[in-house]
Amino acid sequence: MLLTKAGSSARWRCSSRHWMLILLTALVAVSVVSLLIGAGSVGPRQVLGLISGSDHAEARFIVWELRAPRTLIGIAVGVALGVAGALLQAVSRNPLAEPGLLGVSAGAAFAVSLALVLGASAATLRIPVAQLGALIGCVCVLSVARLRGVGNDPVRLVLAGAAFSGLLGSLSALMLLYDQRAADEIRFWVVGSLAGRRLDDLWAVLPSLLVAGAGVVLIARPLAALALGERAASGLGHRPGLIRWLAVGCVALLVGAATAIAGPIAFVGLVVPFVARAIAGPDIRRTLWFCLPVGPLIVLTADIISRVVVAPSELPLGVLTALCGAPVLIAVVRAKRLPML
Amino acid sequence: MKNTAKQSLSGVALPHTSTAYHEEASAQAVAAPQGYWRAALPRYGVSVLLEKRALVVNIGLSAALLAACVLYLSLGSVTLSPNAVVASLVGRGDSMTTFMVQQLRLPRLIAACFTGAAFALAGVLMQTLARNRLATPGIIGIDNGATAFAVASIVGLGVGIAPPAMALAGATTAAVLTFGLASGSGTQGYRFIVAGIGVGAVFGAVTQLMLARVAIDTANAAYPWTVGSLNARPASAVQLLGIGLALGLVAALALARSLTLLRFKDAIASGLGTAVKVGRLQVLLLSVVLTALAVAVAGPVGLVALIGPEIARSLSSARHVPILAATLAGALVMVLADLAGRTLFAPIEIPVGVVTAVVGGPWLLWILMRPQRSRP
Repeated sequence: MLLTKAGSSARWRCSSRHWMLILLTALVAVSVVSLLIGAGSVGPRQVLGLISGSDHAEARFIVWELRAPRTLIGIAVGVALGVAGALLQAVSRNPLAEPGLLGVSAGAAFAVSLALVLGASAATLRIPVAQLGALIGCVCVLSVARLRGVGNDPVRLVLAGAAFSGLLGSLSALMLLYDQRAADEIRFWVVGSLAGRRLDDLWAVLPSLLVAGAGVVLIARPLAALALGERAASGLGHRPGLIRWLAVGCVALLVGAATAIAGPIAFVGLVVPFVARAIAGPDIRRTLWFCLPVGPLIVLTADIISRVVVAPSELPLGVLTALCGAPVLIAVVRAKRLPML
Repeated sequence: MKNTAKQSLSGVALPHTSTAYHEEASAQAVAAPQGYWRAALPRYGVSVLLEKRALVVNIGLSAALLAACVLYLSLGSVTLSPNAVVASLVGRGDSMTTFMVQQLRLPRLIAACFTGAAFALAGVLMQTLARNRLATPGIIGIDNGATAFAVASIVGLGVGIAPPAMALAGATTAAVLTFGLASGSGTQGYRFIVAGIGVGAVFGAVTQLMLARVAIDTANAAYPWTVGSLNARPASAVQLLGIGLALGLVAALALARSLTLLRFKDAIASGLGTAVKVGRLQVLLLSVVLTALAVAVAGPVGLVALIGPEIARSLSSARHVPILAATLAGALVMVLADLAGRTLFAPIEIPVGVVTAVVGGPWLLWILMRPQRSRP
């Protein structure tokens, strides 16, 4: 699977095209399954009947008003978190850097809680506030990563991130204890889930996702150069400081958007680049391409499982991503030598 | 090196036979080394070395703990004067005050003292074992394991087994997992801790999973377990913790000498006569049991295990592992944190776990950020 050593470029290009095809097929399949299966009584048979022309009002409503938006939002969240994870790992040169693990998501969640307690209503302000919080969290994390000593040790950065998110989490809990109204508004958001999100939310974050996408396209090449080291990058005509700031901005936009819709979801930004890198090798440009199908694939799969495993109720998505992400974290840490990105 | 190996433990009397002592200090046969008091019973041929600084620290911490306890008993929704508190403790107050102090506040105070002491003791043991001041049971996932199992028994999955037993099983499972998964990279360094964070995340998710499966009332009953609270704790668990804490403290003091040596490299420790592996296993076992019993009472208030030993270490000399001082400091921190949680935002009560996280989080970050010099 690791194609780093493949000599002829034609061979791995062919192989990576195969991989892309497989992943896209899997993504389509998972999306269809996500439309077919749910916690309610409408099963695959009714949904398939809908296609063949039956007029089952309940099935129609559930599929088009509940499951289709949910699937779309799952795809958007998966893309955003996966790409953000890959970017953050490339910028901090740390295979453990993950928006949830390093406290970026916690920063967004904290900002939203703060705004709610200060009197904003949940619907209006959530997205920009979450993005601002994510930006502040990003800046904190990266300035810590550039501190002497901490930045050289990926694992220590993770510990700092865990402490940071723990602190922000308890501060949020404190504020919500104090303000019952805000607690009611936010209770179902802080756990991280795709359930009950409306399509309007997706339209609201779409502009920022597009802006971030454009930014990623701009900085993909310079980031690949930055992987060679700062000197090599500036020798090749790039400006490392500027690239880093642009990347941080993109991460903040992406994580803020994903958190604003779905709440803080941990470990997706770790697992997706991990899988993508295993397929694509060390080049950040190819890794980013592979994050596009892998992210939604993982988020949608976790979401489907979260619907069926405790049916008729549902499980928060964050629980499932933690269950599948923590083993990956341990696997990365257990590797004999942490790969420096 | 020889000093560290041979001499007394943090403020604890260690009997030396005077003959052995004579051999060591040849010139000044009876004078105590600098910084020590020597209490001798010549008739029985026994002398005892007490470290002055440890003695002062322990007495000071005990006094502070006592003062905090009186404060804890007097503050609340009804403020009592310290005199009234003391009077009702000895049974001479009026019936209302006596009821409030003895029935309402005292059980909670005892729970706070016991849990704080147990967490901090477990923390100092684990830190010494891993030679890393960040390796507290809470950070490496043992708290979460114990919580997950205890919640399982509350929501009715573990048929009728009491929470303390289940917490013990959970803590053991988490410890085995963390140490097993980190075995390739050793207990030193940060990889071990991140493996623990991963294990903790899994158990945290499992706890959420179980809470999502049950009815809302049961979930509310289990909620304190997820943040850590001292509100209305079961008396049986507190009793069990008291017994465990007493035994654990005695065992830790008995292990103090090998603990002091475990801070060195393995080769040095075994060269000075410690069975390193056996010592590690004993210390680990003790730490896990103490954590489990404390979690069964208060839920995961893991950061006390970081703060207590930090305070004790900054007060004590680096010569010994400050076992007793850490225990006292942990109890002190827990009592103060719960007092703050009860009174600061009254009538809303802040769970003690949130208070310690708000205070301990920045401290943890500061430890991580500052330049690395000293080790436990």
